[in-house]
Amino acid sequence: MVSTALASILRSGRADFNARFVAARRIHPELEPGAFTGFLGTAVDDLAQAVEKVRADRLGEVTMAAYDAALELVGQKLAGPGARMKAIEEGWCRILPKAASLVAMAPGRLIPAVCNAVHQLASTPGARPAHWIETMEELAPQCADADAFLKLGQVAAWRAGLAHLRSGAIAAADALPEPMALAAFGAKSGSSWAGVRERLLANPWFDPASEPKPSSTLRVVTQAGSFKGFGGLFIEPPLVVSSGEHFLVRSESECWLLTADVFGATFHRASIKEFETAKGDHRFPSGLQVKGSRVVFNGNSFEFPALGEFTSAAVNATTLALSSRLTHTIVLAALR
Amino acid sequence: MGLLNVFQRISQSPTNPHPAAAPRTFDVADLYRGPVSTQDGTPDAGAPPLDEKLRQAYFWIVNTAIISPHYDVEYNDGPPQSFVLGDSKSRLTLPSAQSYSSFVLLPMLTFATRRKYLFIGGPGRGKTASAILMGVLGGYSVREVRRAMQHGHPQMTIADLLGNPLPADLVNAQRIEDIRISWRQWLSMRVKIIDEYNRIPTRTQSALLTVMGDNYAEILNHIYECPESAWFLTANDDQGGGTYQVIEALRDRIDVVVQALAFNPRFLSDLLTRIEENIRPDEVVPRQIVFTESEVDRMQEEIRAVAIPGEVRRRLEFFASQFEFCEVAADQFEYKTKDTARLAGVEWHLLAAQETGRDRLKDIGCQTKNGLSVRVLMTLLIYSKALAYFRGNRIVELEDVRQILPFVLHDKLSPDSEAPFFDAPGNAVFRADRIGWLRKVLDLSCADYDRVNLDRDDPVAELATEFRRGLDGLSENETRARLVRIERLITEWSKGRKLYGHIYDDVLKLKYLHQRYTNYLRWLKTQ
Repeated sequence: MVSTALASILRSGRADFNARFVAARRIHPELEPGAFTGFLGTAVDDLAQAVEKVRADRLGEVTMAAYDAALELVGQKLAGPGARMKAIEEGWCRILPKAASLVAMAPGRLIPAVCNAVHQLASTPGARPAHWIETMEELAPQCADADAFLKLGQVAAWRAGLAHLRSGAIAAADALPEPMALAAFGAKSGSSWAGVRERLLANPWFDPASEPKPSSTLRVVTQAGSFKGFGGLFIEPPLVVSSGEHFLVRSESECWLLTADVFGATFHRASIKEFETAKGDHRFPSGLQVKGSRVVFNGNSFEFPALGEFTSAAVNATTLALSSRLTHTIVLAALR
Repeated sequence: MGLLNVFQRISQSPTNPHPAAAPRTFDVADLYRGPVSTQDGTPDAGAPPLDEKLRQAYFWIVNTAIISPHYDVEYNDGPPQSFVLGDSKSRLTLPSAQSYSSFVLLPMLTFATRRKYLFIGGPGRGKTASAILMGVLGGYSVREVRRAMQHGHPQMTIADLLGNPLPADLVNAQRIEDIRISWRQWLSMRVKIIDEYNRIPTRTQSALLTVMGDNYAEILNHIYECPESAWFLTANDDQGGGTYQVIEALRDRIDVVVQALAFNPRFLSDLLTRIEENIRPDEVVPRQIVFTESEVDRMQEEIRAVAIPGEVRRRLEFFASQFEFCEVAADQFEYKTKDTARLAGVEWHLLAAQETGRDRLKDIGCQTKNGLSVRVLMTLLIYSKALAYFRGNRIVELEDVRQILPFVLHDKLSPDSEAPFFDAPGNAVFRADRIGWLRKVLDLSCADYDRVNLDRDDPVAELATEFRRGLDGLSENETRARLVRIERLITEWSKGRKLYGHIYDDVLKLKYLHQRYTNYLRWLKTQ
């Protein structure tokens, strides 16, 4: 049973809404009326009720946008009963009603944006859509307008594990009010955005929410990738080479670009040709040596007995990447 | 989302994904792209590149507008899967890379390059509908396109085609310059459609030829300069038949010919949907794939900038040199061409019967009655670039040439169906399959090219490169040395070597170089 507000909008545009459903079914034959009605009566209705309280004059526009988005989500089995991805509906229900006044301003932008962002996070191995939803639920209502909402979402997505969005997210944070930018990073009280920004740019392993760690030693910060049989990418233990501020990883005849930082690690398709070209550029800074299963860094020696002998090692300004025959992951160690 | 949206959905970008080359930047705005469409009506910040837009237009047409589930322009990433079916061992190939339907692809390339395209096929196969879509893509309304379309019929006059002098001026004017002409609207359009061009009377065809060939129309000494346009003509057959014989010069102006393939009845449900929903694809073209005039201008520039690497160009040169040569056509070396014989009115079978010592089965030139003109070669180069551009590449691959060549040469290279090649086992089918034959000829030519090892051993190319460096500062001794090198090469070739088409063209090139150096030497002696 939907609310009076939503029922009124649906009734007044009945023919058009029905036509939209019919058209959507042609594109998505699996769109089930029951599932769609269910989603309409819960997620869409909650949003409609929230919008009615703050901007009743925009309810019609919001309902149209929500209806169309719901058709696409339920039609693709991304929301509603039997959805293959529960996170999108959760994101809709937790974020949109709380940001009702913003949604009312730009429903055609924000509703799809939230759905697509959660979809991307849920589709990226290692990313944390729940973290993103939590951040947005807390901070989005404080945004002044739709643009700020979207920029906040970009920062939150980076923090939720989309490491490749690093530079874009820092630029987005520049455009946010300082308190919001710092809150998005969970920065310690007393921090300034300028200071946090400088450290973020200089060190991908800097987490504003944690105490800074001593930087003179080698510390393993993450392990990226896994065996294909366990849902990962690699059929055989990979090899790694450096490529600018990122790494290229090869397993058998496939290759990926690895982006990694303190918030997560993501893989992106690359070509064997890129790997072979980057392979030739193999220089370690002075003070860093890799041999057998040992790394010598700034005069200190670190053993990795669990890895056995390294099959490849690559380094950039901030990170050492190691691979071995005994694991399908790439071990990343911070040099700062 | 209305029913209209079903037909107005365009393919997501990228439509032809290539692995990106590192270093790579990531757009944070991509976070908000996904399975749910943005609905605020504002265009995406940053319109797609024009080649991407062209591909989106192609995929919209092929998925929504024209039911053409044929992938006869085949590309492969790795080895394709191939199956043999039926008693005649018909081969079906499943391509391993993105492949295309010629019936939609070639009009798109013609639209992008503003060339001239002929749709052929039986009635009711979508020829006119496809042409109208091209007009709509060019930014014209359906109404404008339909009204501007010229329909060939036996009573069509020049005035019907081009326009009329104003009657009042005809009566009152004292001089011909004072007569004003009411030109037909279609002459100013950037997409021109001539339906059933082979039903136009011969006299009116001549007027059409002037517009197509020289881009202007003339009535009573008044000239109308037409803008550069893409032309789409339709005909029920390409043999030049119809109500009137199409004049050869007009046929020759057409750049590509594509046949409308038969409708596959397994797609009848799509036709049924159109009937039931009363949707006409030309009326629901998404605005995102409509091109402005300046976009097409820019696209032409970008296409021209696509590079043809030397190794591809050389293979094309080798292929083109196979056909014109006719050893028995003349005594003078330069006139030993099929065109000489044709102009003299010599019967083809008399020429073909004369023995020249060459292997008539292996000699590719024996398969045709004519050679390739400059116009055809230029068309081939432009369409090769356009196809590479369409695929998102900035360098033409040999496969691009291989795929486009049959459509460009379709009615330009006339096969000699009596040639021994067509009697060889498995080749009889090429008498009817013009496309297959042309691809086969190119493949044979490339095989010959590799056999002769011209990539590594091409003395004519070396001499030509040397010449291109210029004559400034070249001494008399060096000039003489170069002349001797040319003469030695020709002497070597004259020892028992059969004279095939490519040798003929190479010898003429050597004669050209020899003459240039000879003239230079004469000049040097006067200094």
